[in-house]
Amino acid sequence: MRKLLINICLFFLFAIIIGEIVVRVTHVVSDIPQRTIDEHGIQKYIPNQEGYWKGGDHKWLVNKLGWPGVLPESNKNLIMVIGDSFIENFMNPNECHQSAYLKSNMNDYNFMEAGRSGVSFIEAMEITKQMDSLNPIHSLIYLDDDDFYESITQVKPMSDITQLDIEINTIKYGEMKSPGLKKILYTWKLMYYFYNRFQLGNLFQPETLHDNSKVEEPEFTAEVIKLIDYIKQNYVTTNKTLVFHPNSKKSFIEICKSAGFNTILLDSSNDDSWTFDYDSHWTCYGHKRAAEQISNHLLNSNHQGILNNFNIKK
Amino acid sequence: MLFNSLEFFLFLPIVFGLYWVIGGKRIKSQNVLIALASYVFYGWWDWRFLSLILFSTLVDYSIGLALGKKEKPKTRKILLWISICVNLGFLGFFKYYNFFIDSLIDSFTFFGSELSINTLNIILPVGISFYTFQTLSYTIDVYNKKLEPTKDFVGFMAFVSFFPQLVAGPIERATNLLPQFSIERKFNYKNAVDGLRQVLWGLFKKIVIADNCAKYANIIFNNHTEYNGSTLLLGAFFFAFQIYGDFSGYSDIAIGVSRLFGFNLKRNFAFPYFSRDIAEFWRRWHISLSTWFRDYLYIPLGGSRGGLKMKIRNTFIIFIVSGFWHGANWTFIIWGALNALYFLPLLLTKKNRINTNLVAEGKFFPTLKELRQMAFTFFITLIAWVFFRADSVAHAFSYLYNMFDTSLFSEIEVLPSTILTLVLFFIATEWLGRNGQYAIENIDFMKKPMRWAFYILLIILMFSFTGEEQQFIYFQF
Repeated sequence: MRKLLINICLFFLFAIIIGEIVVRVTHVVSDIPQRTIDEHGIQKYIPNQEGYWKGGDHKWLVNKLGWPGVLPESNKNLIMVIGDSFIENFMNPNECHQSAYLKSNMNDYNFMEAGRSGVSFIEAMEITKQMDSLNPIHSLIYLDDDDFYESITQVKPMSDITQLDIEINTIKYGEMKSPGLKKILYTWKLMYYFYNRFQLGNLFQPETLHDNSKVEEPEFTAEVIKLIDYIKQNYVTTNKTLVFHPNSKKSFIEICKSAGFNTILLDSSNDDSWTFDYDSHWTCYGHKRAAEQISNHLLNSNHQGILNNFNIKK
Repeated sequence: MLFNSLEFFLFLPIVFGLYWVIGGKRIKSQNVLIALASYVFYGWWDWRFLSLILFSTLVDYSIGLALGKKEKPKTRKILLWISICVNLGFLGFFKYYNFFIDSLIDSFTFFGSELSINTLNIILPVGISFYTFQTLSYTIDVYNKKLEPTKDFVGFMAFVSFFPQLVAGPIERATNLLPQFSIERKFNYKNAVDGLRQVLWGLFKKIVIADNCAKYANIIFNNHTEYNGSTLLLGAFFFAFQIYGDFSGYSDIAIGVSRLFGFNLKRNFAFPYFSRDIAEFWRRWHISLSTWFRDYLYIPLGGSRGGLKMKIRNTFIIFIVSGFWHGANWTFIIWGALNALYFLPLLLTKKNRINTNLVAEGKFFPTLKELRQMAFTFFITLIAWVFFRADSVAHAFSYLYNMFDTSLFSEIEVLPSTILTLVLFFIATEWLGRNGQYAIENIDFMKKPMRWAFYILLIILMFSFTGEEQQFIYFQF
């Protein structure tokens, strides 16, 4: 029995080493960049990292400021592009990022992305504050309904996301969830492969009953109004355009408009699919189409006015 | 609990560890553990049906004891028939009730009258055909005085519910397996390693071969009117390897797991697709069921001893019953009858036992004649598999009709080259290892690092080609 156990252990060790090599060479899992929290409480990536996306077809990179994507050549007429995993966009090559498409449509401007998966609306506003040192002329903040809910502690409490406690009007900065464990998991690629492959994460989640009947989700309008009020009082809203994902709640858009935000509602109806088959994120096509709609909005007469207010330097 | 599930990979080491911690000398405690583990294994699927196994166990245990005490032939016969009726009664109710009702209604409709009987919404207990036949073999063997009735209830309970082979065989004979529950089991390193190797091969067959072939077989069978003849032939080919990989894979895992616990189960498959005629195929396919029918049905009916009429009758009976055992559908009955038709010419010309040795024994390649024989046998088996796989008799005939039209020689419309390469790798491995109990049994000629590298290759293939987890086909039987 001892011999068998020793041999099984040795075999597993051998298998783990070979498996690790195979997983790394074939890129069956994506490389995941390491995160850090900066002095302002914003979670971003450790600068200057690069790695492969699943399958190894393209590489992602984290620039020297700690945000995914390529930095613009100049900060002249800079427009910030802020959002969650859609802007982080690890699943597409750099040429399919919003900044690349927007630049090709609006050559007089430079675009810089600050995206990270999980960024809530309130965190996006915090990021714009930190980016003021670069003197951007405008900011585009990409949002969907969840970004509103995830901004409010009372609606969707999440310790790893920056949120606003609307009862005491205080921002609670997100904390890194088990950073040590995550570091091991992302470094030990074979383990990460098994974690994904067998959805081990689900083992530790309480089981939920799946009910197919459609339940109307509460709107949380009152809570969202409080959130927008807080944003109005604490941030500059006039030089920001909120870009809403297709099918976002109209009521939220109206609340934001009344707070002084410029808004764009993207429309993917009557078009080919914007998203991957296996994932709700946008493909290159989706990003291209979104960027076209945004450029058109910004360059039309009304919005050109918005940009002109900020002294385009030619 | 499926063998290819995460639960089983946690369950097995726990039971294995506890089993050998108890030690081989404490047989009773080990048997209690096996029985408990087996009930957990089965109850994982649906605990309500545990009562069915327990009831079967109690009935056959009691009847076995009674048969041991009674000498009067009439009383013994009554006891035997009680066991047969109880076991086959359960099987008949759960598996065949709706089929008989439907067939009855159809025949009344055919003759112009109406019959109104409702069918029932019955859940078929997993593996009922397997454990029913296993317990029946005990009672029949005790009745025939081939076996002493056991007084050890726990041992008998463990025998009936032995988890490695409970739900899909091999169907063990009481004469082979039951005595193993009453002797000391010693841990044997070589046996355990061999068992693990067989489990690995079984998992490869199931996960890589069967599940991947299933994907394409399902697509082609479910949309057969949209494909040309050559694609339909490929669909039947995929199904042939799906069912072989699935069922023989399960048997390999069952036999391998049993060896880890110190038990030896019967061999269930012996490279059937290398058979040179259909008689050889049936000596190599689902051996535990074929021999069960041979010993408990064919021979009592007179076997091949009588005249021409009797030979034909018995051959049809055994093949049709075997088909019916697989499922309550006319497709299985036709599948059985077709195999009987294949087999009869060999039996009547006394050529059914000419290919009893290993094909191309001691040679690397088969002769052209052997190759032709194997190809022909495989082809006619393929035709029969169409009935086995089809949803209805009409579906099967329509499939064959479309397959054998002129488009049989046109270009294949669905050609998954990766899966075909895997199947070729599988066939080559099976061919090279055909003198073993399973394909990679005699891999010891390789140096340890090479051997381990080969095992890791199999594991990598399993992870790379795992599709949707598919239930083992034979669970439904």
